[in-house]
Amino acid sequence: MKRVALVAALLALVLAGAAAGAPRHRSAPTKLTVWVGWSARELAAFKKLAAEYQKANPDVSLSVVGSINDDKIVAAIRAGTAPDVVSSFNSYNVGIYCGTGGWIDLSSLMKQSGISTSMFPPTTNYYTQYGGKKCALPLLADTYGLYYNKTLFKKAGIAGPPKTIAELTADAKKLTVRNSDGSLKQVGIDPFIGFYENVPERWILPWGGTYTDSSGKAHLATDPAWTKWLTWQKQMIDWYGYKNLVKFQAGLGDEFSASNAFEVGKVAMNLDGEWRVAFIKAEHPTLDYGTAPMPAANPSLYGSGYINGTIIGIPKNGKHTQQAWDFVKWVTTNTHALAEFSNAIKNVPSTTASTHSKELVPDTHFATFLKIFANPKSGTSPIEASGASYTNLVQNFATKWQAGQVKDLHGGLVTLDKQLDAQVSQAKGGGVP
Amino acid sequence: MLLLMAPWLVGFSVFFGYPLVMSAYLSLNHYDLLSPPRWVGLANYRYLFSVDPQTWTAVKNTLWLIVVLVPLQVLSAFGLAIMLARARQGVGIFRTIFYLPALAPPVAATLGFVFILNPATGPVNTILGHLGISGPLWFQDPHWSKPSLVLLGIWGVGNTMIIFLAAVLDVPRTLYESAQLDGAGPLQRLRYVTLPSISPVILFAVVLGVIQGLQYFTQAYVAAGVAAGQASQAADVTAVSLGYPLDSTLFYPVLLYQHGFTDFQMGYASAMAMFLLVVSFAVTLVIVLNSRRWVHEGAR
Amino acid sequence: MSAVGVAAPLVRRKPPARVRRKRMLVAIANHSVLIAAAIAFLAPFAFITLTALMTNNQALSSNLWPHPFAWHNFIDVFTKAPLWRWTLNTMEYSFAATLGVVLSSVPVAYALARIRWRGRTVAFMVVLVALMLPPQVTVVPLYVMWAKFHPFGFNFIGTLWPVIIPNWFGDAFSIFLLRQFFLTIPEEYMDAARVDGCGELRILTTVVARLAKPAIAAVALFSFLYTFNDFFLPLLYTGESAHHWVLSIGLSEFRSLHQVQWNLTMAATLLVMAPVIVLFFLAQRAFVEGVTLTGVKG
Repeated sequence: MKRVALVAALLALVLAGAAAGAPRHRSAPTKLTVWVGWSARELAAFKKLAAEYQKANPDVSLSVVGSINDDKIVAAIRAGTAPDVVSSFNSYNVGIYCGTGGWIDLSSLMKQSGISTSMFPPTTNYYTQYGGKKCALPLLADTYGLYYNKTLFKKAGIAGPPKTIAELTADAKKLTVRNSDGSLKQVGIDPFIGFYENVPERWILPWGGTYTDSSGKAHLATDPAWTKWLTWQKQMIDWYGYKNLVKFQAGLGDEFSASNAFEVGKVAMNLDGEWRVAFIKAEHPTLDYGTAPMPAANPSLYGSGYINGTIIGIPKNGKHTQQAWDFVKWVTTNTHALAEFSNAIKNVPSTTASTHSKELVPDTHFATFLKIFANPKSGTSPIEASGASYTNLVQNFATKWQAGQVKDLHGGLVTLDKQLDAQVSQAKGGGVP
Repeated sequence: MLLLMAPWLVGFSVFFGYPLVMSAYLSLNHYDLLSPPRWVGLANYRYLFSVDPQTWTAVKNTLWLIVVLVPLQVLSAFGLAIMLARARQGVGIFRTIFYLPALAPPVAATLGFVFILNPATGPVNTILGHLGISGPLWFQDPHWSKPSLVLLGIWGVGNTMIIFLAAVLDVPRTLYESAQLDGAGPLQRLRYVTLPSISPVILFAVVLGVIQGLQYFTQAYVAAGVAAGQASQAADVTAVSLGYPLDSTLFYPVLLYQHGFTDFQMGYASAMAMFLLVVSFAVTLVIVLNSRRWVHEGAR
Repeated sequence: MSAVGVAAPLVRRKPPARVRRKRMLVAIANHSVLIAAAIAFLAPFAFITLTALMTNNQALSSNLWPHPFAWHNFIDVFTKAPLWRWTLNTMEYSFAATLGVVLSSVPVAYALARIRWRGRTVAFMVVLVALMLPPQVTVVPLYVMWAKFHPFGFNFIGTLWPVIIPNWFGDAFSIFLLRQFFLTIPEEYMDAARVDGCGELRILTTVVARLAKPAIAAVALFSFLYTFNDFFLPLLYTGESAHHWVLSIGLSEFRSLHQVQWNLTMAATLLVMAPVIVLFFLAQRAFVEGVTLTGVKG
């Protein structure tokens, strides 16, 4: 008996000691997995942001995974292995994410937290919702403009960037240099669809083209801008020589490497996004270049450009919805966070408040893009139930056209319109119209 | 006995029978894996045959591949085997050299070929340039992309070549000798002795080639993706590289993959799969029935 | 006069010089074509190797010969990409699948070849049909099945299990091959064992397995090769979970990881080809025999 009591007493002592000595035991922080598309330098910037959030919110631990693309997101949602927070570089698939509920509707969460859509510029609101469901928020935006190489311009005797299509054509021809065997050595501007950032939706903006009419049906055949743009584009490509251009492109460096064709002076003018400013600063700081809006088909359109941007949302079947929302809310509306991130990767801040933030580092090259973003004529591509397949189909057509495989442009566009509508109808689950 | 067959019976029902039935069912639905399947009847089939702009391109591409690649593979395998059978010295080395590429994993081989055939900086066009020939654009040219894949396919013909070699060596010498006595020249011996004797092997190679042609995916997928990347396509616009350039490498299984696993359209992809099933059956049946005319069984 | 009874020794007359010359010309022509073909077949390997030894900038230009030989590329490849992880995954997949194929296909092939039972021909026909079917036909419902099946909360999608498990239930090609081979084993062996009172299972494991070693080795080899090179199914199931990538997927994605450093990509390509080629040299005879088995006895 005495022995038992002794042991019991000893045990109690040990336990008491352990309890007293052990640090105050908080429950382990909730682990949130965040998927983003950025990699390398830009990913590091995002991770810095995540670390800042974690410091202010120690009950949450963020695990950031980079290099994500839409395919991965789509696959993960389908298989039920999606993370807590997910983001995509563009809005093309919003129609699918919102329409199928793959990303949850954030409206009630927004109301709860006092976030309203008026905090965001109208274009960004357009591309983060579909079918009445707001399943994403913009996380920094992208706009597209013209980058031009001042050194090459001086050499060719051109004073400033082209503002009209006629000037663009003339300048491009002046800035093109051919080798003795006829192949291309330097190209003025490369309008080849599929090259770097060249996709129809970014080029058609300064031409004033739209995809759908008021009833939502595709009208590329009847909107004159498309015919004008496609005709001009093919003329340019034929002037270079289609095969010459393809061969030239095959020898160029990767778009996101330090051998980017514009950065090394192989291409004198280029349609590119505002993030290129940061890349040039990091990789070729001595490059003498300028930025301007893309030349426009008519003067009233000059200054506008294509807008899109990273979107962020919460996949369904996530386990920590409230904490995930807290992070999403912070990173998309906190002016300081947005300004800091914008400075780091040189993307356009996505709330009206942050565009006026004093923390934004002024940059003449970057200022062009802020102006394009604020221009009321700037726009984005349509959000459709068929997701990215919509614009992909148009791109498919454009690549066939530029290769000379479409003999009748108008007829081709009429067929394209029918195909686009059928695709949307099929994606909505209906039959063939 | 049942015990011996058990694993296969279970496997067959679960991994073969069930999916086949399920595929037929899904083909009549609209299914994107997020919401439950929605019945649409024959709508998917109607879309497949009359509306989808890429269907017939994909069918034509796959047919082209079968009609061009299979005979070329059989011919090259046979040709190499005949020459090896005739050679006296170094047969072992030659045999190894011809067989090695067949061992290369398809992805590795495809990557290698796309790089070598880069129209601007690749070694092939560089050497052709030194010889004064302006090389084609290979994987960047829609007229040359399929032939480039055919070259890749012929490079890997080692397996079939070994089979042909064994078969050719198996033909009894006595048959040749008696033919020679009858006054047959070498070409006639080839036509009347060698070919009939190895006809079962030819049939085997053709059937295998056709089956592989109907499933052709990996090389097309990898080649298109890499070649599109060489044209420096923007990294953020998805799924436009399948079939690059200009849908010339868009084979039927590639299109099926795109619709099913990139565009979410699983019901539609099942309809495509059903069509592929019917065609595979029909083609194999046609070949096998046709073979009765020219295959000599029991030639061993 | 010489004795007629003595048989004159057989003298092989040399064929006339004309025929000899013609034969030699044919042989030379044959050899020349063989040499030309061999060069054509080896050229890609040569180009790949040369590129693998270049620096990145040289690989992007039209230089044919590396200037400094960048041997360190082969080591750099391991630090730039998780090549070890991919190799591990590939080995896991190949070994698990090959084991499964052998263990499950042998009994089935035996049942189809040597045991008389009703429906045997039908079953064999079904095996042939399974052989002819493109995998794309069953791939969608199988994917759906694996996506919806969550025992104990385990997610199959994103792992290699959906690709490994079916191999444990028999593989049509292996069954076909083994059955053809079993057919060539004389009945007497089996009958003798049956007379001794052995059950079918016993016969299989003792008598047949030992006799069929070359066929089983061939099946194991092919299975290993096939799974080592498999791209489509792993792409489907592990495409978006990089941790489980196999070598074939890793290699195709290598280019987008680090902005297409072609020299490293080619080095990685060679490294991926290497194990298979080494395996070939070690098991040459098994290879050739196995390939022959498929075709000639097919």
